[in-house]
Amino acid sequence: MAWLFVRLKLRLIAGNLRGDTMRQVGFVFTMIAAVMVACAGLLLMSLLRFAPVDVAVNAGVVLFTVLTVIWVVGPLLVFGVDETLDPARLTLFPLTARQMAVGMFAASATGPWPVASLCLLVGAIVGLSRSFTGVLIGLVAIVLQVALCLVASRAVTTALSRVLRTRRGRDLLAVGVVFVILLTQVPNLLLNRGFGADPQEFLARLASVVRWGPPGMAAHAIADGGLLGLAEIVIVALVVLALGRLWIAALGKAMVTSDSSTQIGSVRRSRFDGLLPGGALGAVVAKELKYVRREPRGRMGWMAAIGFSGVLMFSLSGGPNGLGGSALAVAPACVGALMIGLQAANALGIDGRALWMNAIVYSSDRDLRTDFAGRHLAVSLVAVPLLAVLSIAAALVAGHLPWALPAVLTSSGLLLVSLGVGAVTSVILPYTYPDRINAFTSAAPGQGGVAFAGSFGAMLGTSMLAFPVVLPVFLGLTWVAALAVPYGLVVALAGRRLAATIGYARLPDLLGAVSRPA
Amino acid sequence: MTDFASGPGSAVSAGSAGPPEAVRTRGLYKRFGPQVAVAGVDLVVPRGSFAGLVGPNGAGKTTTLSMITGLLMPDAGSVEVGGVDVWRHPVAVKAHVGVLPEGLRLFERLSGRELLSYNGQIRGIRKEEVARRAEELLNVMDLADSADKLVVDYSTGMRKKIGLAAALLHNPKVLFLDEPFEGVDPVSANTLVEVLQRYTSSGSTVVFSSHVMELVERLCDWVSVMNHGQIVAQGTLSEVRGGHTLNEALLDLVGVRGTGEEGLSWLGSSST
Repeated sequence: MAWLFVRLKLRLIAGNLRGDTMRQVGFVFTMIAAVMVACAGLLLMSLLRFAPVDVAVNAGVVLFTVLTVIWVVGPLLVFGVDETLDPARLTLFPLTARQMAVGMFAASATGPWPVASLCLLVGAIVGLSRSFTGVLIGLVAIVLQVALCLVASRAVTTALSRVLRTRRGRDLLAVGVVFVILLTQVPNLLLNRGFGADPQEFLARLASVVRWGPPGMAAHAIADGGLLGLAEIVIVALVVLALGRLWIAALGKAMVTSDSSTQIGSVRRSRFDGLLPGGALGAVVAKELKYVRREPRGRMGWMAAIGFSGVLMFSLSGGPNGLGGSALAVAPACVGALMIGLQAANALGIDGRALWMNAIVYSSDRDLRTDFAGRHLAVSLVAVPLLAVLSIAAALVAGHLPWALPAVLTSSGLLLVSLGVGAVTSVILPYTYPDRINAFTSAAPGQGGVAFAGSFGAMLGTSMLAFPVVLPVFLGLTWVAALAVPYGLVVALAGRRLAATIGYARLPDLLGAVSRPA
Repeated sequence: MTDFASGPGSAVSAGSAGPPEAVRTRGLYKRFGPQVAVAGVDLVVPRGSFAGLVGPNGAGKTTTLSMITGLLMPDAGSVEVGGVDVWRHPVAVKAHVGVLPEGLRLFERLSGRELLSYNGQIRGIRKEEVARRAEELLNVMDLADSADKLVVDYSTGMRKKIGLAAALLHNPKVLFLDEPFEGVDPVSANTLVEVLQRYTSSGSTVVFSSHVMELVERLCDWVSVMNHGQIVAQGTLSEVRGGHTLNEALLDLVGVRGTGEEGLSWLGSSST
């Protein structure tokens, strides 16, 4: 059974690559990344050998735990990529839950990342063990650690698979991605705020928290190499078995329960719609405002922008190389504006296949211009108040409230510039957003290059165009901020005109580019 | 009436009768890489007809409809809807056609009512008028209870119905439907049929693609048969089927493969 599943997994990987150059390239990159993680992990973990024993153990304990967390959280974020992960695909076969568990375990152990993890852990044996028995215990411990990662990740995915198959569950998860991305900023923030004045003490405190978790015990067992270590890997083995049982139970349940996505609620009829003018412009504004609220991919971007500038607010001010003066208030708002604006770099992509509804109606570039104007108006209606709040908050953190004024003006101007640039990139480099966006892919298979060029081009274009007004403000010439908004309006207008002319001429192409199957 | 000649830049005579065809394509051609999807299609649909475009999967029906409705650029050939060239005078044509495309491409995060409202407004219909029409369409389509649910949560039948409502909202003169009954339950299908029959009885034209022959036979008075990217038969229903059922006629026209008598000896309850 296990071998069959391993072959199924290999066949799926091969089938996924057949005839699609971009996917092949993507797979090669994945392999390169995995090999690099494996080699770098092996090397770095081995280097722990040269560290003092307690530091090495603490580092091992923390790294084992981090590895486990990555394994549990990672597959949740990319759920749907791997067909062998979804028990629903296997329910029709006459398999017991135990057979499925064994098979799916074997399938999930097949692939570049489990192998890379194993390599990294081999490095841990080199780095952590201080005796021959330590090596022996280590060999068992790393196998158990990989099993722990796999079983824990599978158990969690299976338990949540019912939720993940519903629309609401996936919406929720998409927003969860933002928190994970923001979490990666936490160490940075902690270090900047001086919590990590003594890295060794910091490491020790961190390690003491996770010391008695199963991964922590596995790491400690390798270093210990004695009876305590033996006891620890027995415990880890028991945890793996218990998780395995839980997983089988979850599998048994997941196979016979249906998803609950058919129980759906209604949305409130928007009272705000009444305030908007009728006609195409008002309709586009109303639609876009609803999408900001309801589309998880959009919500993700907004939350990331706000969260990131919030973090930046604090991390910029602290530390030895922090900014000074009005830039402290201006920079967070500007970064927020840039991140919000960059979402508009593929404005038509959010419409996706539904863009045909517009394409079937728009019969001149004027229509497309109105469409872009509506989108820009909607984004501005939400973004400018947010930027104002960010500016005031940043000014307060920086300790000088009047700095909020140049901050809000400059960031609004920057937002407008990025919207103008984004309109042009939207029609030159359009691509499809996948239904389930995650932290690793933001475009349909084969369009990763376009997506990269689009966002990079938008960022570059925005930076260059915004440079003349943003730089003087950063350097302290705050009065220049007064010019930012009119300047931004001009750039946005020009961007819309250019985009509409280019875009209307290639409307069928645009439609094709944003409705690729993903 | 399918006379769009009042549109700006009209290319065709504005005679009171207008052209007799609602849709006419000449040598329509499209290839995707090495594969020729549509190889010179001359489609004719008379005005006021309920026309069916039939053929096996991969015959080029969807590609043809996409080119006729201005969603896909043809490599060669011309398309006239109501006597006006689609690709030269899009304004005149787009205002007068309604489309229900394959694959239910809708704004998923709007409610049914919001979707109709958006659709009407970008077509330049007054807001109050859109609201009135939308309400009636939602009632007729039996969607009134689900009007405030998001389209992403709709069932296939509901999506087809809201799509048709959106396509009808601006009272088009020609309606193009790509597989409107695919995956639709019998109750919803019945609603769709009733609405469409009412629509054609007033002299408007419906062109729909399908591979459900019984349905085409029941609804259509005009049939075009496609195979391998070409029209292999075209005419009134009785002309095309010529005394057989439409299904038999179609199998004849596209050439049926062997039925596979050999093999499968193990299948059935007589074997172990």
